[in-house]
Amino acid sequence: MAFNYDKYLRLEKMPTLWCWGCGDGVILKAFVRAIDKLNINPDDVCVVSGIGCSGRFSSYVDFNTVHTTHGRTVAFATGIKLMNPDKYVICVAGDGDALAIGGNHTIHGCRRNIDITMIIINNFIYGLTNSQTSPTTPQGMWTVSQKSGNIDPTFNATDLAIAAGASFVARETMLDPKKLEKVFVKAIEHRGFAFLDIMSNCHINLGRKNKMASAMENLGWIDSITTPLKKWEALPEEEKLNIFPTGILKEDKIVREYCDMYQDVIDFHQGKRKTITQDDFAKKI
Amino acid sequence: MASAMTEYPGNVPVWVNKDNCKACDICVSVCPSGVLGMRYDHTSTLGAMISVDHPEACIGCNECELSCPDFAIYVADKKEYKFAKLTDDAKERQASIIANNYMSLDQQGAK
Repeated sequence: MAFNYDKYLRLEKMPTLWCWGCGDGVILKAFVRAIDKLNINPDDVCVVSGIGCSGRFSSYVDFNTVHTTHGRTVAFATGIKLMNPDKYVICVAGDGDALAIGGNHTIHGCRRNIDITMIIINNFIYGLTNSQTSPTTPQGMWTVSQKSGNIDPTFNATDLAIAAGASFVARETMLDPKKLEKVFVKAIEHRGFAFLDIMSNCHINLGRKNKMASAMENLGWIDSITTPLKKWEALPEEEKLNIFPTGILKEDKIVREYCDMYQDVIDFHQGKRKTITQDDFAKKI
Repeated sequence: MASAMTEYPGNVPVWVNKDNCKACDICVSVCPSGVLGMRYDHTSTLGAMISVDHPEACIGCNECELSCPDFAIYVADKKEYKFAKLTDDAKERQASIIANNYMSLDQQGAK
């Protein structure tokens, strides 16, 4: 008996609509295994997804699911979490979804530090609409909207999340599904905003015109631009700009979670709490 | 009710759900011991289908199951099947399968 996926998947929707070799499937599998490892009741999980290839994620998992509008995953998830503070809310968004059209919602989700796990499936392109430049497309790559090479500087999603105040920030690639499962377990357990930048492949819409037409060539390229955090710190300064560190980049357990603070306000107005001062919300070190 | 075919079919280390497989070659590339290979199949979308050529060499590392994006390949539990040890022969076979464009060694030509 292999691992029993039947419990967590909507098998009548299989096989998936994703292209052959798409990393989204690997991330879906690692996510399902992480939920099983944590022994969470499927009814206590809510998966919120946006638009794009990653938006199909919510169709295949048999939890509570919401398929929302473009870029508004964090907005919907914030509402769901405030009404159900004891449930696990997971956002799944693509790089264009979370960082371009939904960039505003993402940074304010990070700032509030609300207990949401945000999984960004970063495939460096707008894959569903056939290769337009996304915020994470590397400079010089061919896209439909910039046919002589992308001139826009590349966006570093995890630096943004650290600056905006997310309390758990990690980057992984789909090359190592075992590591991916471990980081999902840690992120879901973490109380606070967990921001995960998961690098994935799109050999169909990014790779074909950029000399990596098969899944393995694209994965080899992802391997060449990422390195574990400890090795990355030892690199010389000029190389650090072109290589992305992987692993857990920030973990802050001291900062207070948004739903807890909101509960304090509710208690004060319902008379269960006598006073409420600025010190109640301040970061205690 | 559909099933992912995760039930153990008996006496095999690896089994495949051919309805889900899209022939992306990822499982062949991650196998350390040359167990898997692609075979021409005119009924499949990409013209190829995964086949388990050398089940006796499987070491039960589970890499193919974890890396498969389409829930198509499964590995038996360590309790159910006695897996082999990794040998130099198996490593060489894996290198030649990758050199043969992820096709089984008796299948010639590009996919």
